[in-house]
Amino acid sequence: MTRADKILLAGLLLVSLLSVAAAGSRFFLLSGKSEPLQAVIMSQGKQVRRINLSAGGRSSFAVQGRSGYSTVEIEGGRIRMLNAPCSGQICVKQGWIEHSGQTIVCIPEEMLIRIEGAAPVDAVTR
Amino acid sequence: MIRRNYILLTLFLLVAGLCIFQYSRRTCEYRSDQFLMDTLVSIKAYGTNAGTVKNAVDAAYVEMHRIAELADGFPKPGTAAWNSSDVCRINEQAGIKPVTVHKDVIAMVTLARKYFELSNGAFDVTIDPVMDQWGFGGENPHIPPPGALGTALALVDSRNLLIDEQARTVFLRTKGMKLDLGAVAKGYATEKAAEVLTRHGITKALIDAGGNIRVLGRNVRDTPWKIGIKDPRKSEAIIAVVSMENAAAVTSGDYYRHFESGGKRYHHILDPRTGYPANQNMSATVVTRDAGLADVLSTVFFVLSPEKALEMAGRIPGVELFLVTADGQIRHSPALNSRLEIKEGSAYHYDPSR
Repeated sequence: MTRADKILLAGLLLVSLLSVAAAGSRFFLLSGKSEPLQAVIMSQGKQVRRINLSAGGRSSFAVQGRSGYSTVEIEGGRIRMLNAPCSGQICVKQGWIEHSGQTIVCIPEEMLIRIEGAAPVDAVTR
Repeated sequence: MIRRNYILLTLFLLVAGLCIFQYSRRTCEYRSDQFLMDTLVSIKAYGTNAGTVKNAVDAAYVEMHRIAELADGFPKPGTAAWNSSDVCRINEQAGIKPVTVHKDVIAMVTLARKYFELSNGAFDVTIDPVMDQWGFGGENPHIPPPGALGTALALVDSRNLLIDEQARTVFLRTKGMKLDLGAVAKGYATEKAAEVLTRHGITKALIDAGGNIRVLGRNVRDTPWKIGIKDPRKSEAIIAVVSMENAAAVTSGDYYRHFESGGKRYHHILDPRTGYPANQNMSATVVTRDAGLADVLSTVFFVLSPEKALEMAGRIPGVELFLVTADGQIRHSPALNSRLEIKEGSAYHYDPSR
């Protein structure tokens, strides 16, 4: 083997190792060690917004639900349902959520706010 | 020289092939959320083919919708939803004649009837007339007048719930009796959804039906799924974490649909023996393989006294119980020991030696 062949061989080995690592990294991504916190807002089965909570800052916006508009507020990495046209107001009374895996659900309006990112548990029985 | 190049080319193709193989085998996740059975149902499934995983999850939702329609107790008479609900027809024919129903309804009613007997009446799917008196289904729940409660309670008795498995009929013997599969249908539908996923070749999935959890296999990190148990008094907090594979976890608690009157808390899980909210526990979590059984048993154990609940759980193979009692104690089946992690700093009393 010439010197060039050895370099080529080393190169190929490097590529193969990298590819195996790349395939494995998908698992690391899903395990979510360094994932930033994101809030996903769904209405009637469709995702209407995805917001990076780790970025901080303050904002509020309206989301159309089943019977009208609800207002969602974000402040300092937390998110809440500020007001909603539903009768029970369970979603509004729940207040702020800020950890991965937490959800605010409004059943009458068919709205869902979920925080995604590195979660301590896969789900919660309640 | 030419020959050496062949060796290198072969090597290169081998590596490229390996890359493609690895790429095709990478795990993909499909996640979907749907509102059904008065709650949010989230299904997360994993596989190597995105299309297959999506098809499996879609089919699982179709199955859950089907069970939901059969068991729906609240649609208006005359509507399409009313016509497809076996429960509505059973209630309409109470005291008149047996009703032919779908085999899934037979399965749910039989399960409910079995635990009515095993719990000596602490669990009863004919509780609906009493529920109506409390108004838990509506906007303004309230303490019912004792006379009306007594009249309603007299109708509650699963011994008058007659099931003919051969003829596939269900009959409520007394006029005015009402069947409510609320404590059974969600868990049963969850288990049927898990069966559909398995039939589609899915080996890793999590179904979260409003806090009723059913997992297939292990999680994506290839470790047991970690399922938190809600703190019954602190919203958004977890009291314990249980590790599980191929199992269900369902909790019944006193913190849903409750109201306060005269400084007392009234919630919607009624003790069929008294007609009043069960008051021995704050929450009962059941871990077992079948989500339908877990759903029924979580209500049974929530209503029973802690001692009776733990004793009964110990007698059913493969059933594990985690209780937060009314006086703030954590109690659980010995079998949970190795898979349970109690959260530090919780406001409850826990004696691991008990």
